[in-house]
Amino acid sequence: MNHENWSKLARIMSKRSLWMIHFCTGCGAMEMPPVMTSRYDMERFGMHAMATPRQADVFLVTGYLAVKTLKRVVQVYEQMRDPKYVIGFGSCTINGGMYWDSYNTIKDLSKYIPVDVYIAGCMPRPEAIMDSFLKLFDMIDKGEAIGWQKYHKYYDQYKRNQRMAFSYRLDEVKDIKEDDKE
Amino acid sequence: MTIQKEFELFIGPNHPGATGNMSYHIWVEGDKVKKAETRVGYLHRGFEKLMEKRIWMQNVPLVCRICVPEPDVNEAAYSMAVEDLMGWEIPERAKYIRTIILEMARIGAHLLTVGGIAASLGIYTAAQWGVGDRDYLLDVFEEITGARVYHIYIWPGGVRWDLPKNAKELITKVLDYLESRLPLYDDLIMNNKVFVRRAADVGVVPKDKAVEWGVTGPNLRAAGYEYDIRKLEPYAAYDKIDFEVPYYPKLGEYEVLSEGSDIYTRTAIRMLEIQQSIKIIRQALKDMPEGDVILKHPQWFAWKVPAGYAYTHVESSKGEFGYFVVSDGGKKPVRVHVRGPSYTHGINVLETIAPGLNIADFAPTAISLDVCPPDIER
Amino acid sequence: MMAKELFPEAQEIRKGRIRIETQKDKVGEIIKKLKDNGYEHFVMLSCVDWIKEGKFELVYQMWSYQYKEHVMISIKINRDGESMLSMRHLFPQIETYEREIHEMFGVNFIGNPNLKEFILEGWPHMPPMRKDFDTEKFVKDFYYKIPEVKEE
Repeated sequence: MNHENWSKLARIMSKRSLWMIHFCTGCGAMEMPPVMTSRYDMERFGMHAMATPRQADVFLVTGYLAVKTLKRVVQVYEQMRDPKYVIGFGSCTINGGMYWDSYNTIKDLSKYIPVDVYIAGCMPRPEAIMDSFLKLFDMIDKGEAIGWQKYHKYYDQYKRNQRMAFSYRLDEVKDIKEDDKE
Repeated sequence: MTIQKEFELFIGPNHPGATGNMSYHIWVEGDKVKKAETRVGYLHRGFEKLMEKRIWMQNVPLVCRICVPEPDVNEAAYSMAVEDLMGWEIPERAKYIRTIILEMARIGAHLLTVGGIAASLGIYTAAQWGVGDRDYLLDVFEEITGARVYHIYIWPGGVRWDLPKNAKELITKVLDYLESRLPLYDDLIMNNKVFVRRAADVGVVPKDKAVEWGVTGPNLRAAGYEYDIRKLEPYAAYDKIDFEVPYYPKLGEYEVLSEGSDIYTRTAIRMLEIQQSIKIIRQALKDMPEGDVILKHPQWFAWKVPAGYAYTHVESSKGEFGYFVVSDGGKKPVRVHVRGPSYTHGINVLETIAPGLNIADFAPTAISLDVCPPDIER
Repeated sequence: MMAKELFPEAQEIRKGRIRIETQKDKVGEIIKKLKDNGYEHFVMLSCVDWIKEGKFELVYQMWSYQYKEHVMISIKINRDGESMLSMRHLFPQIETYEREIHEMFGVNFIGNPNLKEFILEGWPHMPPMRKDFDTEKFVKDFYYKIPEVKEE
């Protein structure tokens, strides 16, 4: 088998054993227990909550992110192994949602880490979450869930945006350019 | 080679034992906690700033997001504060509906907490059950309010709309089901020898200090005080309803196995409160009068709330939820300050009682105090 | 003794809600006296920004389980850098409230050693809860201006 067929096979194998990092970043974490437990039971998709980032494949960013949390989210995301997938959960990850004018929450998650699937709504229903999992499986199957490759490719842009957010200042950009030269 | 005796340990924010998105920084020697520090701020959205920028009615969808497991208490407390300043008396039927909604939310939150305490002590079945049974309540909420988690049902002036026609059957069915489940929870948790040995006399909040430290709610009642805002300053329809406040050492069917104020007693109080809540909802459904459910007040974006100070508090599943609202007579509030019960439980109380605990007992203690980070940092 | 008997200047704003307006050097004494007289639950410490007057209003709130009464002790201090004495020796939780107010409004509390960062992390601007901090403008100038990741 050539390389392309191997990676196709690997994708088929991996999509049915995705482990989710157990990190409740926002209020969307409230709809995760029903999904994880008996009523909706995501284990039938081979998904399971995992406490350590190194063994997790999927990151559900559940809701709004305060800048303080974004630091932890980036750290956790970078600790996860490739291939890794991010699901942006709720309206807050798309455009800030109802915190559009809050001084402490980021407005668009895809500026800081690549997002594969978004779920709209505040808060999304468990059915929507399950649907996003199926969508993700489909994308993995077709080889469209390539957020983690984007993170490698545009690493400097993601890092620049992250540093801007962490410092609450736009003028941090200059420093980064100098860093990159070194 | 020297042996390092003291270690630093970070529990959270990415940790199953942390109660939500918060973290504890603990210093341990062997497996004894020497010192603990609570780190919060991961969920800060600046609610109080946003509320100053929005008109009175626009704040209702904001406030419910302050406590995720039990959002209705926020809507109720905020609405009561606005009604207080406006001098409104809400219709009788709305009061009963509020009572029903608040008690249903309390049962849901208690099921989560009891399941969480048990899960942190290794009884994972309880967490599955708690979440699963809570989901039936969410179904009823959806039928009544249109949403599972954030209901935005209690408004200044009453409730948004009347209960659906089949509400009584729906609610009674869930209550019957829950009542049939409670003995099973007792078998699984309260009569479980492992639970009793892990939970009795662990994580004790000193009884003589409890009031001074600002402990409220079930945690205060577990320390032996019969204080409940539903009785002290009745809101909604609680003054017309006959119910008991469980407190240590009156633990009903549960044995008094410890000195009180520990994880075991706090869990027992919560289980008893679920029973009482079921009783309250049944009574409220029976006694509920007919009539309007919302005041006929002017268009909501024309409201001007008279200048003044108001403080209203409600008894949530975690403790006293208070709203301090200041108005200067304008269309927007000058200041809304929220007192979350976890503010004292999660920071001062936990930091003070943590030294001497075993590492394995730290997470159950935090969960049994029902520390919920969104109401600390808002 | 109830608050109205202890302090004649106290006014009842509605049933069970008492308001005492006082000066900043008398606060400690009043809280101590109330604590000894049945007002044993310290509810919270709030700060209100009255920007037109140029004042911060600090409201110390206490509750008595015995009398079912809520007391708000209110003082006003100047907005520009006036500090307040810490009351943390009276109730331990006041320390946390002071820490939050220090961070969110920039009020300094003398005698509180624990005024380090609480909620925000590395916040370089004006304390955000002050009325002259415009959150909408900040969001438009900052979060919306962060460039999107350009894919070639």
